[in-house]
Amino acid sequence: MSSNETTYKIQVMREILAKKLTRPVVGSLVGCVHCGMCNDACHYVITHPDDPKMTPSYKADQLRKLFKYNFDWTGKAFPWWVGAKEPISDADLDALKDIAFGTCTNCRRCTLNCPMGVDTATLNRLMRGLLSAVGVMPEGVRVVSKDQWEIGNQMGVLKEDYLDTIEWMSDELVNEVGDPNARIQIDKPGCDVIYTINPREAKYDPRTIAAAAKIFWAAGESWTMPSEGWDQTNFGLFSGDDQLGGAAAKRVYEKMKGLDAKLLVISECGHGYRSTRCEGPNWAGIDQDWNMESSVFTMLRYLKEGRIKVDPTKLGKRVTYHDSCNLARSCGITEEPRELLRAVTTDFVEMTPNRAENYCCTGGGGAMSMSEYTPRRLRSAKVKADQIVATGAKVVVTSCHNCVDGLSDLIKHYKLGCEVKQLVDLVADALVIEECAVMKKPKVVVEMPKPALPLHGRRILVVDDEPDVRTFLRTVLEDAGAEVSEAADGDQAIAAARAGKPDMITLDLSMQGKDGIEAFAELRSDPGTRDIPVCVVTGHPEFRKVIYSRAVPPPEGYMDKPVRDEELVDNLRRIFELRNHKAHA
Amino acid sequence: MPTFTHGSVSIAVDEDGFMETPEVWNQDVAAALATTEGVTDLGDEHWKLVNYLRNYYLQYGVAPMIRKLCKETGFDLKKVYELFPSGPAKGACKVAGLPKPTGCV
Repeated sequence: MSSNETTYKIQVMREILAKKLTRPVVGSLVGCVHCGMCNDACHYVITHPDDPKMTPSYKADQLRKLFKYNFDWTGKAFPWWVGAKEPISDADLDALKDIAFGTCTNCRRCTLNCPMGVDTATLNRLMRGLLSAVGVMPEGVRVVSKDQWEIGNQMGVLKEDYLDTIEWMSDELVNEVGDPNARIQIDKPGCDVIYTINPREAKYDPRTIAAAAKIFWAAGESWTMPSEGWDQTNFGLFSGDDQLGGAAAKRVYEKMKGLDAKLLVISECGHGYRSTRCEGPNWAGIDQDWNMESSVFTMLRYLKEGRIKVDPTKLGKRVTYHDSCNLARSCGITEEPRELLRAVTTDFVEMTPNRAENYCCTGGGGAMSMSEYTPRRLRSAKVKADQIVATGAKVVVTSCHNCVDGLSDLIKHYKLGCEVKQLVDLVADALVIEECAVMKKPKVVVEMPKPALPLHGRRILVVDDEPDVRTFLRTVLEDAGAEVSEAADGDQAIAAARAGKPDMITLDLSMQGKDGIEAFAELRSDPGTRDIPVCVVTGHPEFRKVIYSRAVPPPEGYMDKPVRDEELVDNLRRIFELRNHKAHA
Repeated sequence: MPTFTHGSVSIAVDEDGFMETPEVWNQDVAAALATTEGVTDLGDEHWKLVNYLRNYYLQYGVAPMIRKLCKETGFDLKKVYELFPSGPAKGACKVAGLPKPTGCV
């Protein structure tokens, strides 16, 4: 890295900082008197008592130096006295990265202790944002942010996979409760509730999706899940990138509005709630004129309205509640989860301290995706482990996915032997279905939606000179929901493509008459057909070079015969998905 | 970079205990990693799951959706959690030699 590039990075950081100097930010920058009262509040300080670099004021001072150097008169008059300084090398930037990402989870507990009201987490997030803007961030944060930008959710879950997972949970639920009306409806317009989730639910642990669906069903709710804009999480909050924050939040809002839903219900996720409910409209620069709530409120309302009934004795274990920093400290949600928890359990013990004063799960602020800082994170988690042990609880309940993972990690590390659950798990398990609203409603027979086939409605032209191969491909693709037409050589293929404008062409290369290589070049040169995606399916892998060296855009897919049915469908589906992303980018 | 040692196995891992070089994975490594996830004895069902994860990762470069894993192995979610109590993302993926899954996990 040349020093010119470093200079440029610092210039960019300076310019962004200039735009972020709002009154609250400047207040926090100049308000600190270094009294040290924040120290007792921070789980990093408590577990690293001999390391002055763990103090919240030290972390925030990194931004103060930059601010004073460039914007504050004290830094211009006597920089040596007030510590006004800028990073000058890549090593300096890396050091800032380690402080901003590796020694603070942005939990905001220190703010409560500050007599001057300094919001250190806001300053730390701002520092993260400056660094992210010039590409200086942990690899984990970079990967996740990229997926959220490009694929539309933080775990890179493709739409078809997401829909397949919802379908699966629907099947499980319908089997469990024996009512076809329990099926999860996707993109149903005009519902009272639209429900969004954390991608971790779809990718790794969809049990919470089924649990939530069961509760909505039992309450007789009119609800739907969106096919897109379903990721309520937002790495913009963690990376400090307000643009990503706005873009991710906007996807959720737009889908909700498009479906004309009355209320956006956000599944139990602390940063997702804060990002979507509180920060998102500001990041996206839009006026909020719709309603959003945490699913904790929704479940509690059902209970109070008598739409669901629960049996508190089902769990039979002592529970404690861990307040997520984003829900309790940043968004003021402390009593509703407790009210709900008391209703579904019989032995609830508070951990101390609690509510807004609770300690961080230690996995917050994106810490779970930054392995490089895991040893420090787990050491700092001792505070949390002690809190949990003191309750004697066997189950730690929390309303945040990030906390679930942070807590599970520290429970394993400190061998506490507890389980972590969310309220949605407990409420779903405690339901007394016979007494819920769904049993009191007159039964309406709904039409069962057909399962979403991976190539549903796609028009595909199959080009191959072997009739057997054409029949095979036709059968596989039709089974996957596609409408198939056929061509037996290059000339037929071009004519069929021009006339029928299919959504995709599978193309054999070696054919009698005009071969596939020639046909491909012609298709790609004709403005009427050049945008049709082509997946080559050939028995001649050696032709790959020939076709990729043509002076036309390469084919979207290339498969060697013999192809397996599933592989073929998967490949074509991915090609469609990727085109969708490009089209929407 | 930390080194994980168990019996005759000695491999480089990240700070969360996931393999740094997934290519050097073998059955002994899997068995050794399993001990860190509370699985002391890898039976046929464990191997079925681990091998599926492994092959999927080698083919696509990412961990599969839990949906795919269950469909292909025929295990339901409950079974997956019985086999690997710390779950598919952290437990099973680690044993199969995948890098740590990205995101909030």
